Amino acid sequence: MKMIPLEAYFVVSMVLFGLGVLGLIVRKNLVTVLMSLELALNAVNVAFVGADAHLGLVEGQIFALFIIALAAAEAAVGLGIIIAIFRLRFVESTDEITDMRG
Amino acid sequence: MVRFLIFLLFSSWAIISAVGVITFTNPVYVILWLLSALIAIAGIFFTAGAELVGALQLLIYAVAIAVFYVFVLTAVPWEKALKKGTHYRAEGILSFPLILLLYAEMLIVFLLGVTASPEGKFRSLMAKLGNTEVVGSILFTKYFFAFEVVSLVLLIGMIGAVLIGRKESQTYENDTP
Repeated sequence: MKMIPLEAYFVVSMVLFGLGVLGLIVRKNLVTVLMSLELALNAVNVAFVGADAHLGLVEGQIFALFIIALAAAEAAVGLGIIIAIFRLRFVESTDEITDMRG
Repeated sequence: MVRFLIFLLFSSWAIISAVGVITFTNPVYVILWLLSALIAIAGIFFTAGAELVGALQLLIYAVAIAVFYVFVLTAVPWEKALKKGTHYRAEGILSFPLILLLYAEMLIVFLLGVTASPEGKFRSLMAKLGNTEVVGSILFTKYFFAFEVVSLVLLIGMIGAVLIGRKESQTYENDTP
């Protein structure tokens, strides 16, 4: 447990979080936007658990469990919104949902 | 040393899978890359000694949430979106310096800041009891109220998903401005 430095976990977490944010910006399909969001949440989990293993605490793992539970709730609500958008408008791409552009 | 090699293996696997998540065009391939990334991140958790979080990552993320995404992909036809492109290319190129700026900011925090001081409050307890029992005992004593609040949030999310996703009596496809 002491052999892996804390910085290694943080570098992996940073790279995964940047890729997730880039996917959030770049993607057009709504479902893949939510998938990129899941990737960013997992990157935060990696940072929590890595800091935990370095410090010898368990609070980070508890917060990682909370993040997993909230990601499940977010996936349920977000995918319900996507299905509702498709059912009402027959679109699922973010460049076609322009009702609030003004 | 072996543990660090395994960590490098899992982390490179996770990063390659993340690149696959944001670059592939077919959503079915994207969900497979996401599943691969989730399994690799569970491996990172196991190398960090967090067995409970790794097992729940495999159970909740890689089984429940991934299957849920697959169900939604079957409900929403994505061939139409595939035809007219799946990426904002100009926006991606323009936002890439901002991602690099985010990385530079984190790097400055790394180089200047004090990262952590090892305290090891639960380390002896963890050596005696094992990871799962320590996490469970702290979760059900010190963070019991937060645990109950999370269960309430899950209930509200379930009710909201049922309310949002239920079938409407009419559709409004013709009044899009």
